[in-house]
Amino acid sequence: MAEFKCRLKKYRLLKDLTQEQLAEKVGVRRETIMRLEKAQYNPSLKLAIDISRIVEAPIEEIFIFD
Amino acid sequence: MKKNTLKIWIGCGIFCVLSVVLSSWYAVTYNDSRLVVPMDAGSYTFQIKDLPMILSVSLFCIYIFALVIGIMVCAGKRQKNMLKTNTTRNISPKLSFLGLFGFLGFAGFLTYPIDGTVFPFMFFLFFGFFGFFYEGKMSGTFMDERFRENTVRAQLTAYKTTFVITFLALILLCRGKLFGSLEYTLIAVIIVLSLALACGLFLSEYLLYRYDHDDLTEESRE
Repeated sequence: MAEFKCRLKKYRLLKDLTQEQLAEKVGVRRETIMRLEKAQYNPSLKLAIDISRIVEAPIEEIFIFD
Repeated sequence: MKKNTLKIWIGCGIFCVLSVVLSSWYAVTYNDSRLVVPMDAGSYTFQIKDLPMILSVSLFCIYIFALVIGIMVCAGKRQKNMLKTNTTRNISPKLSFLGLFGFLGFAGFLTYPIDGTVFPFMFFLFFGFFGFFYEGKMSGTFMDERFRENTVRAQLTAYKTTFVITFLALILLCRGKLFGSLEYTLIAVIIVLSLALACGLFLSEYLLYRYDHDDLTEESRE
């Protein structure tokens, strides 16, 4: 399985959002955002797109598969 | 279910039980215990003194039927509500005490030598209700995509475990007589099936809780 890296934390902090705020905006729980930031959860395409729209960053910049 | 509705149901239940008790007392005292002690249904002829017993038993049966329908309707409403709010159902972790009924399964070891009754072994199934503890702890949790994924993962593991236990039991028990008796085989089948199902019920809730809460305690809010 490809190695998965996530730069969500960086982009979230750039937008000055807390995990809770981001979670609310994309319709998931804070725990899910937390897991995403630790690259412990592989998001669905819809969630990935929603997040990239909220943090206004390209999807391939946030989620990186080696 | 609303508290008032619950009170009405409990009241009706008490009334039905009391009517059965009273009519039984009447039948034993004034009607030679007709319809109380086992009798030949083929030679039964109606007597006016049988009426209280017939009415109370009919009432009790109607109550049980209505109760089952009521519970099903209530469960359906809860399911709809769950879909609407996208949260898990609200139940109390105290419901896990129902799992203690599982110990009644050991009563089978007492009843079988006395009169050959084996159904108490089925009570081992109740051990699965210990899972309500974990389900209760996750009451009202918002079901996002990760939660749904974890649910499927937990259920799959639980079902796999149940399947493996059942499969192994089938291989061992299909040999036939256990300790020289086919009845012992039946008892073993009942026990293994009950425990396997209990395991499946418990594991699906326990694993979901574990998958959902692992490492979360170490985390801090950012």
